[in-house]
Amino acid sequence: MSDFTSTTDTRFDSRLFRIVPHLILFALILVIWEAAVRLGFITSIIIPRPTAIMGAIAELYFVKGTIYHHFFITLTEAVVGFLIGASVAVSLAVCSALSDPFKRYVSPYAIVLNVTPGIALTPIIIAWFGYGMGSKIALAAVLCFFPIFVNTLTGLLQRDEDREELFRSVGASNAQIFRKLRVPAALPLLFAGMKIGLTTALIGAVVAEFSQATEGVGVLMSRFSFQLDMASSLATLLSMTLIGLILFYSMEFLDDRIVFWRRETRRAAASRAKARAWNARMGQ
Amino acid sequence: MNASVQAQANGAAGKSVINAKGLSKTFGGGAVVALNDANFEIRPGSFVSLVGPSGCGKSTLLRLIAGLIDRTNGELAVHGRDVTGPRTDVGMMFQKATLLEWRTAVENVLLPTEMAGTVTKADRKNAADLLRMVGLKDFLFAFPSQLSGGMQQRVALARLLQTGADVLLLDEPFGALDEFTRERLNVELMRIVGEVKATTLFVTHNIAEAIFLADQVFVMTPRPGQIASIVDVPFERPRPLSIQTSPEFNTLVAQVRDILGEDH
Amino acid sequence: MAAQDTMTEGLSARSGGLSLRQRRTLLHALIFFTLIGLWEAGARLGLLDPLFYPRPTSILNSFYLIYIKNGNVWFNLYATMSLVIAGWIGGSILGVGLGALVGFNAVVRRFLKPYVIVLEATPRIAVAPLLIAALGFGASSKIAIIVLVCFFAPFINTLSGVVNVNEDKLELFRSLRATKMQVLRKLVLPDAIPVIMAGERLALTAALSGALVAEFIQRDQGMGALILVYTRNLNMASSFACIFTLTILGFLIFKGMEWVDHHIAYWKNEAGMKRIGDRRRRQFGAQVGE
Repeated sequence: MSDFTSTTDTRFDSRLFRIVPHLILFALILVIWEAAVRLGFITSIIIPRPTAIMGAIAELYFVKGTIYHHFFITLTEAVVGFLIGASVAVSLAVCSALSDPFKRYVSPYAIVLNVTPGIALTPIIIAWFGYGMGSKIALAAVLCFFPIFVNTLTGLLQRDEDREELFRSVGASNAQIFRKLRVPAALPLLFAGMKIGLTTALIGAVVAEFSQATEGVGVLMSRFSFQLDMASSLATLLSMTLIGLILFYSMEFLDDRIVFWRRETRRAAASRAKARAWNARMGQ
Repeated sequence: MNASVQAQANGAAGKSVINAKGLSKTFGGGAVVALNDANFEIRPGSFVSLVGPSGCGKSTLLRLIAGLIDRTNGELAVHGRDVTGPRTDVGMMFQKATLLEWRTAVENVLLPTEMAGTVTKADRKNAADLLRMVGLKDFLFAFPSQLSGGMQQRVALARLLQTGADVLLLDEPFGALDEFTRERLNVELMRIVGEVKATTLFVTHNIAEAIFLADQVFVMTPRPGQIASIVDVPFERPRPLSIQTSPEFNTLVAQVRDILGEDH
Repeated sequence: MAAQDTMTEGLSARSGGLSLRQRRTLLHALIFFTLIGLWEAGARLGLLDPLFYPRPTSILNSFYLIYIKNGNVWFNLYATMSLVIAGWIGGSILGVGLGALVGFNAVVRRFLKPYVIVLEATPRIAVAPLLIAALGFGASSKIAIIVLVCFFAPFINTLSGVVNVNEDKLELFRSLRATKMQVLRKLVLPDAIPVIMAGERLALTAALSGALVAEFIQRDQGMGALILVYTRNLNMASSFACIFTLTILGFLIFKGMEWVDHHIAYWKNEAGMKRIGDRRRRQFGAQVGE
């Protein structure tokens, strides 16, 4: 029992110990930055003082709490857009994987969509879907479509002949092979595509908000910027980072849960990297 | 060339190219004994095979001689000079060909020369001749991805010879190849090291291969990794493949297998 | 699927001489023109509001207007592309340089990691209004936005290319007593080139998006501004003509980068290996006795 506690303690200690240099560096950067602005090396209009940014963060997040309404608007737009874009992308990828003719006659349009910068559609999508959340969701869906489509399709098209033969030898039908072999094999790539898709969906939501909107962090961002309130606009930027982190790590969590068999590989890769570093040290 | 002059000088003084006394290597602060108390002398121009199961320390011994890792205890000298790091009179070849994909075969062979200084016309001629020697005369300007696994190892062998080292260390060089390719390359290796009169250490886990190639076989056992016995092979080199069916050969195989014990 | 196959086979029996390839091309064309035809018909029959969904024929007419009659697309295309190229070069230099610097220095790498994670999660294009406010309207803020948007992919790819050097090759270099400089020049950089090139491709695509967003906000010139103005005036046909122009541009960028990639990472394709192999033979063939 005591042994157990002692090991947890040392682990906690070592983790704490590892964070400390990072914190010191971060504090140092803030101090130098603050000093540079106060001493006039940097114009505070372009780059505000850290304390000013902290003040803006306190104001937006704690005192007035203005940010939350906009935060959830943008989060919703990105997530809903992502869900729509991802569903279309995955369905089309599955159809393409199941049917060669379908793939052959649909892929040219997917390629055209890929080489077109999706962001160029912003004004048109706003004209089509209006100034509200609809247009933001639509742009988010358009932007996240392609990375998910192409990754899913690539995943489904990689065939493992040996395993398929094994499945056939035990009398599996095509549908069973698809469900039990090809789909699980495609999942890692699917998730890789989903992670990229989430990032691009957020970009879509924010860019659409820049162009024409009344709510959302993108609106706050451009409003503060054009008031030359740099501190508040950097504080707003932080909320976008938070949305990005939330989206990314929730997908990472799902990935870890659903593609659980790769956890071992990941762990093995990590331990291999450690062994390499160790050997390199031993070698010198 | 430089190295062979040195070899002669040392050959007059000692009689061996490589000397090891009480050589040990431990990892993780003594937790793992990779090689324990190795003592041996290797004569100039001889071919030594290191054979044993994984974890017996054969690769560790090779890397110690190559100067790629430092010893924990004991003495180790090549040509009478203490081993402190990689050096020009010792060359090494790995299980993987480790060719640079962006270079042609000739340019890959020239890599050791580039490391040492500038490449002259004579160096290029030499590199091409080495490639012809290993049977790649039609592939001087081919890229690694255009070569088969066996051919890639041939390029790696030519690159090893290009170093001009007279001590050649080979760590399971043909281990990843199929049986037929491996046999053919072994015969050629025997011919080539005979021609360049190099001292060769050859790591393998195949007993027959170890005996077929070598003048001496270091039989190594694991936990802790050590040289259990040194077996002399009395046949003249080069040898025909057919020697492997002779009774004397099979007696040697049985002897080595006996030393390695039941787990091999 | 099977039904369709027999159908196409039946078709081939009737059409006789056509090869499989020709038949497929024909079918591609058939599908394309049917779609266009349906669109045109839908718009003409009043199913699609022509104010929002322009007819294909009016888009064609707009192509004629903006390219030939008014010719106004050329200047804006030039404005956007010069920004894209300038920003992309800037972003590449910054990204590759920073990636190499961080890749070679384990301490810097360790301390930079949290900042990279944060930077990766942030939609970098969101900084656009901030940069415009700080640097003012004009080319400099636009280029700054593009640099910021496109430096990340080359940065991350250079970093991973430099860090993930093959251990076996590194050991080989060590056994050959290579200096740090030799390892860098003869192993690490060439080894990382294909990955860096992949980053550059992404960067160029991102640069185009960055330029468009910058132009949307500044609304002065360039393709972004042009699309915005046409859409505001509900001249959707011209707006679509601009979008399709960008499609063509995107396609050319894609193909161009593919070409550059084939030439720089020549050992990744047969044609490149043949070209460089032949060149080496011309250079050194005589010296090696061929």
